[in-house]
Amino acid sequence: MESLVYIALFAPLLSSLFAGSFAMTPKKQFVGVVSSFLLFISFAASAILGYHLLVTNEPIHVKLMDWIAAGDLNISFGFIVDHVSVTMMFVVTLISTVVHVYSIGYMDHDKSFNRFFSYLSAFVFSMLILVMSDNFAGLFIGWEGVGVCSWLLIGFWYHKADVTRDINPSISPSWAANEAFIMNRIADLGMLVGLFIIYWNVGSLQYDVVFSAIPNMTQAVLTTAAMALFIGAMGKSAQFPLHTWLTDAMEGPTPVSALIHAATMVTAGVFLVIRANPIFALTPEVSYFIAALGTFVAFFAASMALVNRDLKRIIAFSTLSQLGYMFAAAGLGAYWIALFHLGAHAFFKALLFLGAGNVMHAMHDELDIFKMGGLKKAMRGTYLYMGLASLALAGIPPLAGFFSKDAIIETAFNEGSLILWATLVITAGMTAFYSFRQVFLTFHGDERYHEFGIHPHEMYKYVLVAMSPLAILAVIAGFFKDGFNDFIINLLPNYQMSEHTHHLALYLGLIVLAVAVSGILLAYIKYNKRLVRSEKTENGFIYKLLANQYYIPVLYEAVISKPYAELSKLMWKNVDMKIVDATVDAIAKFLYRSGDKSRGMQSGNLSNYLNWMAIGAIALLLVSILSLIAA
Amino acid sequence: MSNILTILVFFPALAGLLGFVIDKNSARVYGVAIAAVEFILSLFLWMNFDSLNPTFQFIEHFPIVKDFGISYYLGVDGISLFLVIMTTFMTLIGMMSMTIKEDLKNMVITLLFLEMTMVGVFLALDAIMFYFFWELSLVPMLYIIGAWGGPLRVYASIKFFLYTFVGSLIMLVGMLFVAYSFYSAAGVWSFAITDWYALGFDMKYQFWLFLAFFVGFAIKVPMFPFHTWLPYAHGQAPTIGSVILAAVLLKMGTYGFVRFSLPMFPDASIMMIAPIAILSIIMIVYTAMVAYAQEDMKQVIAYSSVSHMGIVMLGIFAMNSEGISGSVFQMLSHGIVSGALFMLVGVIYDRTHTKYMSEFGGLASIMPKYALIFGIMLMASVGLPLTIGFVGEFLVLIGFYKISPILTVLAGTSIIVGAVYMLSLFKRSFFGAITNEANRKLKDLNANELVSFIPLVAIVIWLGIYPKPVLSIIDNSVKTTLSIMEQKAITPEAKEIIIAKNSKEEK
Amino acid sequence: MIGLNHYLILSGILFAIGLIGVLRRRNLLMLFFSTEIMLNAANVAFAAISSFYHDLTGQMFAFFIVAIAASEVAIGLGLLILVYKKENTLDLDDLASMKG
Repeated sequence: MESLVYIALFAPLLSSLFAGSFAMTPKKQFVGVVSSFLLFISFAASAILGYHLLVTNEPIHVKLMDWIAAGDLNISFGFIVDHVSVTMMFVVTLISTVVHVYSIGYMDHDKSFNRFFSYLSAFVFSMLILVMSDNFAGLFIGWEGVGVCSWLLIGFWYHKADVTRDINPSISPSWAANEAFIMNRIADLGMLVGLFIIYWNVGSLQYDVVFSAIPNMTQAVLTTAAMALFIGAMGKSAQFPLHTWLTDAMEGPTPVSALIHAATMVTAGVFLVIRANPIFALTPEVSYFIAALGTFVAFFAASMALVNRDLKRIIAFSTLSQLGYMFAAAGLGAYWIALFHLGAHAFFKALLFLGAGNVMHAMHDELDIFKMGGLKKAMRGTYLYMGLASLALAGIPPLAGFFSKDAIIETAFNEGSLILWATLVITAGMTAFYSFRQVFLTFHGDERYHEFGIHPHEMYKYVLVAMSPLAILAVIAGFFKDGFNDFIINLLPNYQMSEHTHHLALYLGLIVLAVAVSGILLAYIKYNKRLVRSEKTENGFIYKLLANQYYIPVLYEAVISKPYAELSKLMWKNVDMKIVDATVDAIAKFLYRSGDKSRGMQSGNLSNYLNWMAIGAIALLLVSILSLIAA
Repeated sequence: MSNILTILVFFPALAGLLGFVIDKNSARVYGVAIAAVEFILSLFLWMNFDSLNPTFQFIEHFPIVKDFGISYYLGVDGISLFLVIMTTFMTLIGMMSMTIKEDLKNMVITLLFLEMTMVGVFLALDAIMFYFFWELSLVPMLYIIGAWGGPLRVYASIKFFLYTFVGSLIMLVGMLFVAYSFYSAAGVWSFAITDWYALGFDMKYQFWLFLAFFVGFAIKVPMFPFHTWLPYAHGQAPTIGSVILAAVLLKMGTYGFVRFSLPMFPDASIMMIAPIAILSIIMIVYTAMVAYAQEDMKQVIAYSSVSHMGIVMLGIFAMNSEGISGSVFQMLSHGIVSGALFMLVGVIYDRTHTKYMSEFGGLASIMPKYALIFGIMLMASVGLPLTIGFVGEFLVLIGFYKISPILTVLAGTSIIVGAVYMLSLFKRSFFGAITNEANRKLKDLNANELVSFIPLVAIVIWLGIYPKPVLSIIDNSVKTTLSIMEQKAITPEAKEIIIAKNSKEEK
Repeated sequence: MIGLNHYLILSGILFAIGLIGVLRRRNLLMLFFSTEIMLNAANVAFAAISSFYHDLTGQMFAFFIVAIAASEVAIGLGLLILVYKKENTLDLDDLASMKG
């Protein structure tokens, strides 16, 4: 079994190195094929490990080697395959394999085809380290690793120049990449502080040691540690106020968006909260804050998705919103439900993104849904996939999203947080509306793309076939909810609805369903036939506010980026050059000048010298007399 | 074998003397060969080093001026061992990658003399010898900047020389006073550092002595606000000068703190934790901001050096073995990474004769290999896990967290501000459209350059993944230093801090 | 009665005259004279103090000074003549060749 762990972990690394060795040569089809095959091996190994765990219920713990050892700190590369990590491994490797195969088709015409596979596999490797590590430091390796891969992949088309925000809200791929990296770093500092707190209070960063030492820690320490860790999670999972990078990250190629910015990396924050659940379970204030923030982000992101015109950005906002749901569940203590939604969401959201990729491919990289419409004729398969995924996202039974999202909303009710519950229900309606607004505007109604001289065509067959596992899982994943519950509660605390909620479950479900269906209906009425734009709405304050993401990116630019740049300039030109360096030079110049001035003494005139000599003699005399008197 | 340290110190200088009679055209090959031999010798030292013995090894000790206790005293411990290896390694790599055309022979000879002084500083255990090598190292560097530098070279080199020289004179006064105190206490003169370790001082003396040494070391590091000589020196120095300056010469200052200040003046060191930590944090954040504002690529890296040395300083004053070991490791890591970055800037400067980022843009598509290596070094510089840069930074921060969580958070912003200036540099130079048409014809790295860079990349990744062989040796010696401090500390507060920091070891 | 103080005051006055001469005169020959006056001021003081303490050392020292002054005059005047032959002047303002 140990070797399977290593196979699952290192196959993507091998794939990355293999593809990387061709990075500077022209496109080679087999690079993609080999990479995908290696990823499939990793998936197969993960699946076998999952089966093993299901049967034996015995986590596998391996230690590869020591990493850092100084003082009392001892960190090793250890990996644990337990119920949580195997779930993540299964989801990550499955989606990665699909995305790899998909990319063979999607990146077909890109000259950096090989390089792309190298980055993509490197990402999977980092992600696996993140989920499989048996200690917080290893988690942090993966954490930063996925950050770098995300930086590389968002900025994949680095050759595009910067443009203004009116033309492209994310300015340029390289800009978006840097934004993502730096914003994540801000959160990583929080995470590091969390590690420091844990280390100095426990003396180790191993999960098992830390969790068993929790009873010895004071409440204050636990709360600060939980806060710090959650700040880390906020960055990776793009929670408010560190959320702007996620939509800008859509500058990356679409398979990247599907894999990294929807299914896997952004869920790392949720994973962290689930992983560290013994800490969060004992810090109710922090947990409630997480739940409240999650709910807020769910609503906040969904509101921005309502009016957006960019196909990928809509899905990105919806990802943000669904991450909010996951945090809400995790914050309320329903860790396994959060993990379940994480998995289900990964399937249908990746599917949605890959579908969007097909549309993009067909529309020659056009992303404005106002310029699409009626694509269902040309793209039957994609229409089916995206329709299914949107239904799942909207939470229509019996698709996956219904089971997982409904459980979260029910949890909120069960905890008695009626405000959270109501917000989440309303958000569910908004989710249904914007998902189907996008579906109808893209696939139904008048064929507006003719005006722009675009001739859409369906994606390659094998790509559509490759997407089918996701489609199947998006449909059926919900039925495994009870089975998953039995499996996961071996590690995570079970979460039981109270008797009262149990009785009301049916009605609660119906309310959510009704809201969701009415959202879809509203979208149908408004957008099914044709696109009707109303100047009045679009110039309205609320519409503008939403379309400009509440002006937050502009605000950050004005309040943080620009002042920082100006302050830096000031520091350099004024402080460093004019104060610090000028002081040093002034001392040197003073010495130089005083020497220069006193040079006049050396006039060569003996008479002057004698005068100076007399002055010196008198001065010495005075000094000695004075010192005698003083003594 | 017993004289290996003497050989390590004086072999380059002898070879340098011999270099005067070498034919001009073979000077480069000669230099590389000598540097390679020296490097292999230092590896040999590592192989024979007893990693379980935390004290000084390979000691060579005989008196020179007996009456005044000045002796020829060399020795190596875990702290200096890797600094020596890094010195010989970076000299070798620098020699290999050198692109200077004029007076190459003089440059090779100068570098070999410089290597002697640098190795000498790290191996000397006699304060007078230490001071001798310390000051002597200025001369070759003065010559390198002054003779091969840019338009402002005279100003830059004199500033460098005088600034550091003034600092070390004050340090010399401190050394003489310590020697005199030893004489008053023991009745004999001695300049041996190991003897000095046994000497205790009153708080009043400790404080002033600490300050005297501090001035000498802090200018060399360079600590804020004594750092302004550095951007000039880097800005004007030829690539090889910058590489050696950043990789090795700056480390002498921080090495001095570990070797002299901490074990000799433990109470004063602990008293000075707060001011030094604040200066270090200013160094980290302020110079990172200044680096962000630069237009010249080389200046960005020059200021980033100051910022990273701030991390090193912070770690030294963490007063626990996590922090100090991390700090020593960070010295190595900064030596490798900043050296590599200066070499990388040198590569583009040789091709375009400019260092201004506005002249570049879109280099990644023209020079992919160059961009790749630059990217790896950049990631090491911002402290990405599994690169060499992370280990030191992480240990320093984790160590200092015990002293002050709040200051650690402030210092930790280095991972943010560091990313800001580095990524902005990378974006401005490598990403975006190709703005300068002349750049389209640039050649990617050639075989010669790759040969210099690949070992650096290998080390950056190797020590990022498996730092243990280096770190454990460092850690042993650091623990010894800490125990010397603990024994010597006189004020109860200081004793408490050191013991509290290391209580777990005693359990 | 003429006591020690009178001699010392005389010595002081002589010394002051010599010093002022050294400081004020521009002619090398005059400087020379002034130095001689200062030396003799010292001699007076030596002799007076010697007799006051009944200790001959001071008077011996005065003889030394007389001897040295004599040899100094011999060499110094010789040098002065050489300077005068070369520069055709003994004015110090014209002899400033060692300007820094």
